[in-house]
Amino acid sequence: MTKRSLRQKQEARWGFFFVAPFLIGFVLFMFGPMLFSLIGSFTDYNLTSKMNFIGLNNFKRMFLNDDLFWKSLYNTAYFTIFNVPLTTLFSIFLAVILNQKLVGMRFFRTIFYLPAVLSGVAVYILWMQLLSPSTGLINTILSWFHITGPSWLFDPNWTKPALIMMKLWSAGGAMLLYLATLQNVPTQLYESAEIDGAGIWQQFRHVTLPMITPIIFYDVITSTIGSFQIFQEAYVMTSNGQGGPANSLLFYNLHMWNKAFVGFDMGYAMAMSMVLFMIVLVLTLINLKLAPRWVHYAGGDQ
Amino acid sequence: MKKVGLILTAVLACLVLLGGCGKKTADADKDTTTNVKSSKKVTLDFWSFWGSGARREVIESIIKDYNESQDKVKIKYSYQPWGDIWTKSLSAITAGNPPDVIVQDINSVAQRADAKQATDITKYLDKGINKRFYSQLFKTTQYQNKTYGLPFNTDTQVIFYNKKIFKNAGLTDKDLPQTWSELDAVARTLDIKKDDTFTRIGFYPLWSLDTQVWALNADGGTSWFNDKNQVKIDTKNKRKALQWILDAQKYYGKKTINRLEAEFGSGVADPFLSGTVAMRAQNINYYTSIKENAPKDFEFGVIQLPEFQKGSGHKTWGGGFTLEVPTGAKHVKESVDFIKYLTSDKVQEKFGAASFDIMANKKANTNLINGKQLDETGQMIYKTADQAMSSTVLTPIPLSAPDYNNLVNEQIDAALLGQKSAKQALKDAQTAVENLVKQHK
Repeated sequence: MTKRSLRQKQEARWGFFFVAPFLIGFVLFMFGPMLFSLIGSFTDYNLTSKMNFIGLNNFKRMFLNDDLFWKSLYNTAYFTIFNVPLTTLFSIFLAVILNQKLVGMRFFRTIFYLPAVLSGVAVYILWMQLLSPSTGLINTILSWFHITGPSWLFDPNWTKPALIMMKLWSAGGAMLLYLATLQNVPTQLYESAEIDGAGIWQQFRHVTLPMITPIIFYDVITSTIGSFQIFQEAYVMTSNGQGGPANSLLFYNLHMWNKAFVGFDMGYAMAMSMVLFMIVLVLTLINLKLAPRWVHYAGGDQ
Repeated sequence: MKKVGLILTAVLACLVLLGGCGKKTADADKDTTTNVKSSKKVTLDFWSFWGSGARREVIESIIKDYNESQDKVKIKYSYQPWGDIWTKSLSAITAGNPPDVIVQDINSVAQRADAKQATDITKYLDKGINKRFYSQLFKTTQYQNKTYGLPFNTDTQVIFYNKKIFKNAGLTDKDLPQTWSELDAVARTLDIKKDDTFTRIGFYPLWSLDTQVWALNADGGTSWFNDKNQVKIDTKNKRKALQWILDAQKYYGKKTINRLEAEFGSGVADPFLSGTVAMRAQNINYYTSIKENAPKDFEFGVIQLPEFQKGSGHKTWGGGFTLEVPTGAKHVKESVDFIKYLTSDKVQEKFGAASFDIMANKKANTNLINGKQLDETGQMIYKTADQAMSSTVLTPIPLSAPDYNNLVNEQIDAALLGQKSAKQALKDAQTAVENLVKQHK
């Protein structure tokens, strides 16, 4: 290893100085709490009166005794498995359609983006009304076609599909990303494809899709992480925030919240958060490993 | 290079100092407040979730009275939204900077006492202060024979009935149902069914009331846990209660029930006020909604929950709120003085008259029944409430399984969805909750 010159050292110091705000923030507000959670997961910490080391007991209890842990993991996995591909496909579909050069396209882009601007509890309340079994708009429209709609949020078989449908509606955020990328695809690629005799589908399959794979990759990773952390929807849209009916909306984070703030079992909740962290980490690593097989970077493999 | 090193050290030092300084000033503030205490006024931070309407107005007026009545203590009122107040106070307690007095949930006092989140205030209380309150309310504030707060207000579950519908059906006061079977019989006479659709519902038990309430009514006042914290979910009478609910569900049909359930959510379309539902079990506070939304000529009455069987008692369920001093609060004595004031007869009466809450102080309720502050209907409501309080059961959170609710609800939902029999559902719930208790041992 070559010894660094004085100048290099000085530059490195300045570099550290300029990133110091981030580093300090990261250590204090991210890494610190994460480390604390890791330590806390081996204790019976309850926030106020105790913090005794109990070894792997929290994890043992979680895997062997706590049925709701498995139920909540199942619910969350179910949601993620359907939500991630569906929202990705839907937002690509939307972006491609809205990428046509037609009069009034801006208007439609705005309309489809609007749900992404609206957010939080107001949207959930709105959807609770839309999904109301007898008076809701969705079942009313279904009844025009002589379809008896399900009771959505009151029927455990339909609660998760209802939530996924709601998520599809607000796919506008991801759509915007795809739209921006689509507009960056060089037109000469399409021109040469056309000269080579490629039809619309072939152009999409062999030009558009490869060119937007980096964004698909990014979207899949972030929405997988986001889906695993689903909480608010279930907390707001079920009675008393319990995740009913029949615990069908008891998602991982809701169960964790119950353990932490209903049962004051913070050590256990911390252990749960560590398990979630590992799950998400492993999934992301798998994604990263698989990426080179299908993600195409225009500038080469860098 | 030296320069950079110096700058870096300087920045770091500043950061450390800033952190330190922040703490110091905070400490200094605390010091001054304690100093002020001996000579001047103490300011107490009082947290509640009464953010608007009658409750906010009356509590502010009560605080104003208190601030003017003496010159040692000044109460500062802090409104905290319902969804945040308790998680926020929990982090404030953990950070060592809690409010002085807080309105808390009555059924979890022991849980907080056990986790050292609340202060034992026994030594500041006069002997016999418990006589102010309904005994079951005061009992919830006890943990290992010490007092961790005083009850403030409460509620109870009763049945509201539409007087006109009763009259038109030829039913008199004598026919008001006293037992479950009488309730069923009266409901059947009030039902109206046209071409397979119910246009009027006599009575369906689960609108606004949990299965738990009917279960404890059937089981002589024992809820999912008994006094000794034993799990009592799968009992003979509770099976009968759940079966009774399933029968009612089958009789009216899920479709009818879902349709009306959605309508109960919104004030004006309330099926009870429109006469589609003849009797409705509800929290007694429902009275305020009737006052606001009912048509002018609407006449209603209130009765206690009927007995499961003749002589088994009109057992019903109640909740409410307590006033507590969180752990780490600096002026416990002054805070308790304020709590005593808030639970005293006159103040309780004032709060009740404005908010229509059933107060924890017995005498305040009696005064409201006999006094001139309420109209006749109001007095009738308080009279029924006072009666119902004698058979109202509170269900303190069991320390051995504080988060048992999801386990029980899952099984009851399964029964209501037709996936399990009443017997099987309660059996499974019993096993699941016993398993949770075991995990906490």
